[in-house]
Amino acid sequence: MKYIPTIGIECHVQLCTKTKLFSEVDNDARGKEPNSCVSPVCYALPGMLPRLNGEAIRLAILAGRAMNCEINPRSRFDRKHYFYPDSPKGYQITQFYHPIIGEGYVELPSGVKVRIEHAHLEGDAGKLTHFDTYSLVDLNRVDTPLIEIVSMPDIHSAKDAHDYCKELWRLMCFAGVTYGDLYNGNMRFDVNISLAPEGSDKLGTRAEVKNLNSFRSVERAVEYEIKRQSKLLDKGEKVIQETRGWSDATGETTGQRSKEEAKDYRYMPEPDLPPINLSPEFIAEESAKLPLMPKDYREKFGKVIASDILEILLDYPQLTIKLEEVASSSSGALRGASPSLTPSDEPSTSSITLLSNLFVSVLLAEEKSAEYLNDLPSAQDLSELAEMNEKKELSSTATKEVFLRLFDPQMKGRGTRQIAKELGLIQENDLGALEKIVDAVLAKPETAKAQADFKAGQEKVLGFLVGQVMKESHGKANPSAVQEILRKKLK
Amino acid sequence: MEIKREDILHLADLSELSLSEAEITTLEKDLQGIINYISQIGELDTSKVEPTYQVFEMENVWRDDVIKEQDATREELLALTKEEKDNQVKVPKVL
Repeated sequence: MKYIPTIGIECHVQLCTKTKLFSEVDNDARGKEPNSCVSPVCYALPGMLPRLNGEAIRLAILAGRAMNCEINPRSRFDRKHYFYPDSPKGYQITQFYHPIIGEGYVELPSGVKVRIEHAHLEGDAGKLTHFDTYSLVDLNRVDTPLIEIVSMPDIHSAKDAHDYCKELWRLMCFAGVTYGDLYNGNMRFDVNISLAPEGSDKLGTRAEVKNLNSFRSVERAVEYEIKRQSKLLDKGEKVIQETRGWSDATGETTGQRSKEEAKDYRYMPEPDLPPINLSPEFIAEESAKLPLMPKDYREKFGKVIASDILEILLDYPQLTIKLEEVASSSSGALRGASPSLTPSDEPSTSSITLLSNLFVSVLLAEEKSAEYLNDLPSAQDLSELAEMNEKKELSSTATKEVFLRLFDPQMKGRGTRQIAKELGLIQENDLGALEKIVDAVLAKPETAKAQADFKAGQEKVLGFLVGQVMKESHGKANPSAVQEILRKKLK
Repeated sequence: MEIKREDILHLADLSELSLSEAEITTLEKDLQGIINYISQIGELDTSKVEPTYQVFEMENVWRDDVIKEQDATREELLALTKEEKDNQVKVPKVL
């Protein structure tokens, strides 16, 4: 039988605040010792009181607006009780009844709209590492601010599940609310999947696959579940409502402990945290800080960057943001530098096209690109590179070479022109100077035959003569300018 | 609401408590008394009363996002645990 899958996704996003959600301790535990970013609040010592981090509220507003969501003026916190060593409190502080982020939607590049049911603020739990006979607890992650984004069951294929997670990642990164490092668990996905016979208006029993940390594993887990559940239903068996774990290695999901029911969490209002009551002015003020989103970039760059290149760039927010920086800063600089070559008000369009191509086909092809992405050259250096290319001071090969040197820690900070000079890559465009070199070459007896041949109509030998001039100029002459001068002189 | 033996066992299970037979019997009786007492509030008509989330009527108590030196060091905090290993809290294996 043919079944239609229905998929809903819960996504946890770690917010990049400086301190934790409920205490003034370092929230950035990357590369730090276990239990070194821990306060008495994280440790749940008797008498500890949580104090809410205002920055988390601001970031939650940005995250909500990035997903076209309503921001609820009134929200508050609840305790969700469970007993497990990753939570010394014995409960998680979350927003069960009154979340800060209301309904909204995320539009996928394909045009599919996935509605957001709500999203709420909560504290993360600690990290357990399991050994043969014991487990070790690291509390660095306790109370890292999270927003949990709950989608409506609007997704109906593994591909859309993948694309939804990826678009969420892009939105959260562009909104600047998370470091977005999937490898380190900055975003984690729980996927609910059920199947219903085609044409049926009832949803089937769902299974939840927990803790997926890549778009690819979301897609594979959904594909696997669709197959597994179809087989069960074909045999007339039932799908059990349960939590399942995913293994990237085996490519399979397996059943885990049965899920506690909501009432087992014994939710109660968090008495230690006064409710949040946001004024419309505050919400509007914070919402206005939302940076450009992928859809804005598609609108803005759609005409100057090919859409396949633009979609790749959108996977590297730092590159897209850098391009925007160049676009908004370079027009003035370029105009000032060379009024004759850049008469229009938007000289940056060709720079943007050139730089986007360099980013995607040169930078991302580099082995060290991941390293380079963390420390990009300044917008000024990049627009100067584009300018030198445009003025033909750099050939396209030389442009690529100088471009890569801009990322080289040894070369960095010297400025584009200086680097190009040191490498001897600046082309001679001074027509007077070029003419002198051409004259010198034409005066050489060994070029006499070629000159005669060209005048007799042999186009091919022009290449030889250009080559001679290039040699004489130590490769710095602009070949097309040389050609033009030669043609004039040999008429 | 009637508290049954299964309720006690379920609650003990959620809290990872192991109870003796005597404790189960006592708790069953005590909890029933507590529930009956608290249930009296259900007899009041609260349909026109706003829920109370916070008795001091405070709102929007936030702090700035600035890291502060903590009073307790990692060593002091770890010293409070029953057992530690490699600067982590060691617990019986749980899955």
